[in-house]
Amino acid sequence: MSNDKTPFDDAERDNPMLAAEHALGLLEGEELAQSRAKLENDPEYRWRKDWWNNWFAPWTDEVAGAEPSDVVWVRISEAVAASQRANAADTAVGAMQKVVSLEDRLKRWQWAAGITSAAAAIMLAVMVFAPGSEPGAIAPSGDETTLAASDPLVAQVPIGDTGLRLDVTYIPQSEQLLVGAIGLTADGVHDHELWLVPDDGSALQSLGVVKPGEVLGKQLPADIIANMGDGAELVLTREPIGGKPVGQDAGPVVAQGAFSKV
Amino acid sequence: MVEGQNKQAADIAREKLRGAMVRLADGDSAALEEIYESTRVKLFGICLRILGDRKEAEDALQDVYINLWQKADRYDPERASPISWLATFARNRAIDRLRTGKVRQGAVPVEEALPLPDNTPLADDLMVDAENAAQIHKCIQGLDERTRTHIRSAFFDGFTYAELATRADVPLGTMKSWIRRGLQKLRACLEASEAA
Repeated sequence: MSNDKTPFDDAERDNPMLAAEHALGLLEGEELAQSRAKLENDPEYRWRKDWWNNWFAPWTDEVAGAEPSDVVWVRISEAVAASQRANAADTAVGAMQKVVSLEDRLKRWQWAAGITSAAAAIMLAVMVFAPGSEPGAIAPSGDETTLAASDPLVAQVPIGDTGLRLDVTYIPQSEQLLVGAIGLTADGVHDHELWLVPDDGSALQSLGVVKPGEVLGKQLPADIIANMGDGAELVLTREPIGGKPVGQDAGPVVAQGAFSKV
Repeated sequence: MVEGQNKQAADIAREKLRGAMVRLADGDSAALEEIYESTRVKLFGICLRILGDRKEAEDALQDVYINLWQKADRYDPERASPISWLATFARNRAIDRLRTGKVRQGAVPVEEALPLPDNTPLADDLMVDAENAAQIHKCIQGLDERTRTHIRSAFFDGFTYAELATRADVPLGTMKSWIRRGLQKLRACLEASEAA
């Protein structure tokens, strides 16, 4: 039977002993390097070192606390911020690639729906630089699946037999509505107001007054978004300048269309 | 009652810390400041104790939190309480600094250690699990005084076998044998307590 006088050589050590020596901080040089390698490769050994760590940890309660100087946190936060900037630079590259991919999709939508180039350019800007998100933020959230689920709704509203029309696009991702009235000119006497016709037969919801020759973007409120969807109908009414006066009925319907998913 | 309230407050603080660790692992860098606020006093105390020099200890502390930010996903909430894990993490980083020769051993032996000028008693919520504390205390008391002193000195001052042997003026082999016999008994005692 061994006693306190019996030597305990390095060769006699089992893994739990070695793990204890590592946990206590007794190892150095090559032994320390070997133990570290073993921690990486041997889960049982790692478990045993954690076991010792957990038992030794209460001893840290005997160590008096001390207040570091303020500069420590300043240096930590600077290091973290610098590292985040480096990551953001990587993410920006990803975002650029995403823009390229979005541009491809938009070309297809444009082709499919005949959206004007100006409207398409604004759509792209709205989708990439959605309010409240950094450009980089699109990378983690914008995989192809979520993008497809939030594909825009597009409606064309032909204006009589003029050959002109409104391009109306709704982007679910940013809850933005884009109304393009390129090619239209104001007559100086009327404005035209666009309306969503809710499925349930409730009152028309105004989508705003159309500005001839411009593409307007606006954030939609939740009560309108609730009625947005494939097949949702739109009407354009002729109103006095400034749009439908409060308390009066809307003017005559001069054009209509419906949203469809592209 | 007061004791019960303290315990409850400590439990809440521990849960908050656990939550912050989980958020940090998910990449929320704001959680780092929360963790720093609640743990810096304890972790700096540990670094200072091992390294014995304010400037070195502040460098080590900085290193601890930057590393924590990079490796927070290594923390396993199933395995250790957050404060226990962080204390071990800080101590290991401080020991690493000693071992890589960046620092001249500046720590003083346990019996000579004087209270630091700006030391702070640890709040309850910075204490590691009390039940574990009682058990390791009981088991280490079961060792002879000489062995106990050397094992504790390795833990608190970061001494290697060679340094302990020199300080005790005994051959290296003798110091290794003393400590290993002690660790063997310690393990048996701790395992017996787990089985009970």
